[in-house]
Amino acid sequence: MATATEEPRLLGSALAAEDAGEIDGAVGEQGLPRGDDDDEEILRFMDSVDGYLHLMDSLSSTLRQGWLDLASARHSMGPTRVSSTLLDHKEQSAATKLQVVDHAGLQLSESKPHFALSKWSLQEECYSTCNAGEQASSEPNLRHRGSATTPEDGNHERDATKAGSSTGSDTSSHVQRARSKALSVFGALVSPKLRTAQISFETALELILELANSRSSMLASFSQLKE
Amino acid sequence: MAGRANIPTNSSALIAIIADEDTVTGFLLAGVGNVDLRKKTNYLIVDNKTTVKQIEDAFKEFTAREDIAIVLISQYVANMIRFLVDGYNKPVPAILEIPSKDHPYDPAHDSVLSRVKYLFSAESVASDRR
Repeated sequence: MATATEEPRLLGSALAAEDAGEIDGAVGEQGLPRGDDDDEEILRFMDSVDGYLHLMDSLSSTLRQGWLDLASARHSMGPTRVSSTLLDHKEQSAATKLQVVDHAGLQLSESKPHFALSKWSLQEECYSTCNAGEQASSEPNLRHRGSATTPEDGNHERDATKAGSSTGSDTSSHVQRARSKALSVFGALVSPKLRTAQISFETALELILELANSRSSMLASFSQLKE
Repeated sequence: MAGRANIPTNSSALIAIIADEDTVTGFLLAGVGNVDLRKKTNYLIVDNKTTVKQIEDAFKEFTAREDIAIVLISQYVANMIRFLVDGYNKPVPAILEIPSKDHPYDPAHDSVLSRVKYLFSAESVASDRR
């Protein structure tokens, strides 16, 4: 593990610690140039840092919009109606969750978790309906080459289309129901600004997910470079 | 060679939040709020009455829970417990410092960027804090 007293190396430069036993800098062992793998890792690291900063900037803008909408909702509905005192402390499961998978790096010593978002329990709810949709569409569609489609062909295609569209409409109605349930904490009739705030914070969640993955990538590249 | 930290695959992990009222309210609107059987929540609302000890306890609790994958913490709150945040180095849960209404994000204080910053600078920022 690198200690504070070791001289850190500068990326892409030939500066190297002359300490005994340390081989660093652009020139590797026995005076041979740094490998392409190192350059790739450095580029990956720089990209992930750059991506992280850009994402943080986007998150700041999105959050600002969310706070503004929340303030507007509070202004129109009244401060007592948009307050943390209304938050429900009854047992409830989060509707939006994460999935974490470990994508181990090239070396066994590094861990690289990957995060995925499951908004409004969509993946769990969609599982059965999506499967139904897939089964309907995977059934063989009878061809119709220029000839008039038989009623069976037409029905079949209509069923497959209906299955697809009903899956989509099921999903969107499920999402709408879940959103309304989250909003219902603040009353039956809420300001449109509160709904807009909800969308802003949902977008912020997506950015946070990308940030978490970018962080994971950055730390994995960093530990690779340190070694 | 140091052993790799095991990251169990988790298909229903939570996001924890330590932030001001508006930020927590907003994210709860987005569906991340969770209250378990023992009335334990996955969020802490920080206001002017919240003590540093309460924030520390919440941070330690959230980072120890296996069902939490990301901890969001407002950067100004993280500054209050900077030694704890900087000392944390596990991959999961991931700690993300976010801006708040009154305190914009400052990359110079971000614990993740501080850790990797020394690759760009001759100074090791993190070492000053340890």
